[in-house]
Amino acid sequence: MIRLQNVTKVYPNGSRGVEGLNLHIKKGDFVFIVGSSGSGKSTLIKLLLKELDPTSGEIIINRVKTNDLSRKQIPYLRRNLGVVFQDFRLLPNKTVYENVAFAMRVIEAPSRIIRRNVPAVLSLVGLGQKGRSYPNQLSGGEQQRTALARAIVNNPPILICDEPTGNLDPETAWGIMQLLDDINKRGTTIVMATHARDIVDAMQKRVVTLNKGHIIRDIEKGGYDDEA
Amino acid sequence: MRPSTIRYFLKEGFSGLRKNLLMTVASIIAVAACISIMSFSYCVVSNLQYMMDQMEDSIGISVFLEGDVTSEEIESLKTQISQIEHVTNVTYVSPADSLDKLKDEWGADEDIFIGLDDENNPLSHSFQIELDQIESQDAVLTALHNIEGINEDNVEYGQSVSELLVKISNVFQIAGIIVMLILGVISVMIIVNTIRISVVNRRVEINIMKYVGATDWFIRWPFIIEGIIIGLIGAIIPSLLGLPLYAKTVSLFYNYVPFVANFIRFRLTGDVFSFVLPAALLFGILLGVVGSVTSIRKHLQV
Repeated sequence: MIRLQNVTKVYPNGSRGVEGLNLHIKKGDFVFIVGSSGSGKSTLIKLLLKELDPTSGEIIINRVKTNDLSRKQIPYLRRNLGVVFQDFRLLPNKTVYENVAFAMRVIEAPSRIIRRNVPAVLSLVGLGQKGRSYPNQLSGGEQQRTALARAIVNNPPILICDEPTGNLDPETAWGIMQLLDDINKRGTTIVMATHARDIVDAMQKRVVTLNKGHIIRDIEKGGYDDEA
Repeated sequence: MRPSTIRYFLKEGFSGLRKNLLMTVASIIAVAACISIMSFSYCVVSNLQYMMDQMEDSIGISVFLEGDVTSEEIESLKTQISQIEHVTNVTYVSPADSLDKLKDEWGADEDIFIGLDDENNPLSHSFQIELDQIESQDAVLTALHNIEGINEDNVEYGQSVSELLVKISNVFQIAGIIVMLILGVISVMIIVNTIRISVVNRRVEINIMKYVGATDWFIRWPFIIEGIIIGLIGAIIPSLLGLPLYAKTVSLFYNYVPFVANFIRFRLTGDVFSFVLPAALLFGILLGVVGSVTSIRKHLQV
């Protein structure tokens, strides 16, 4: 599903984001990307989203070599990737329903399908009754659930989460993790960058540890500090 | 494109305008002012061109022949003159024709011509030469002087008038075109500025749209609609005000300076505005598209 081959990203100022990354993520995997700040987690996420292009190496997502994609093709790559951010990034002047419908509108889904899928996804994330609320009327957890609903409403094969629990208290964070686990069980590949040790330890999923731009550990099933 | 998508674009476009209402109104006024001045320049330039055309029709060269001339000589000269480049028409005027014309012009005072008739006519044989444009006059004159039997003394033309007219008209036309170009650029800049504010207000939205896989055109359309609406309203206002204003100005001119109407005619209001109206609307739409595409370009780089 996702394959990185010898990927290096050097920023224009000369600092190295990641260096010589080799990573293979299979369909249906749930992978934590862990590491301290500056370890290259964000760079890796941005490379996957093709927000950045690698300086060298190859990135293949869903059988497409993303290095070769033209600007015009990027939107179609991103339709395979749901994204959730630490800061939710909801539109404050739109209701929960509209925030989710927005993602479908953008890919020009028919209104009929929008009216059918949005309520279904909202009830999946536990916000069935909150469609008419505005983001500022919601708790942090509910806002992140809205963002999650938006990320999966178009049914992408891959979900990329950048510190999705970073702004949430442990209990709420746990609710989000259970939701992600559910989504993963339905077949969606999940890549989640985090430094929430407790969560990684409890989930017992694949853990890829980055340090100074290199992969220093890659464990099939484990915790935050487990040795390979 | 789906109808629901088009509705979405229109809704977003209008909501963008509403959210920056003050800026929207300000830029509509500014664009309207620019298009007004551009339309005014066009009216001046096109009327000058129109008057020049009229002058060109009326200004010609007259060649007077001395003494008696045989009809063969007249035919030969006529052929030679017709062959000169830029000459569009040559008319032979006999002394009798000239006399009749003079009598007509003097009308009631025809009496002074008593005693002059075909037998006793002091007027010369002549040619009236029409040119394609005033600018060719010099070239034609030179060519005329080269024809045997014609010299400088028997050629008459409106030298000073025609040269001055050409100069004035050229100056106004160049100035008018420069004014139109400058104002066109200014109008684009005004719209770019307004749309840019709208874009900055919605950069989070644009950012999210990029992440969920919106194409660049999907993101652009609402802003293009904003730009087009500003451009269109900015074009409609001066067109609607300008039409009656032009008609009124022309009729005032004819009323207060009636003698002007004898030698200068303005273009008809309908003629002028059948160009100005569609041109202004088209320009307004173009302004909107260019302005919005320019201002959003930077924000699509995600």
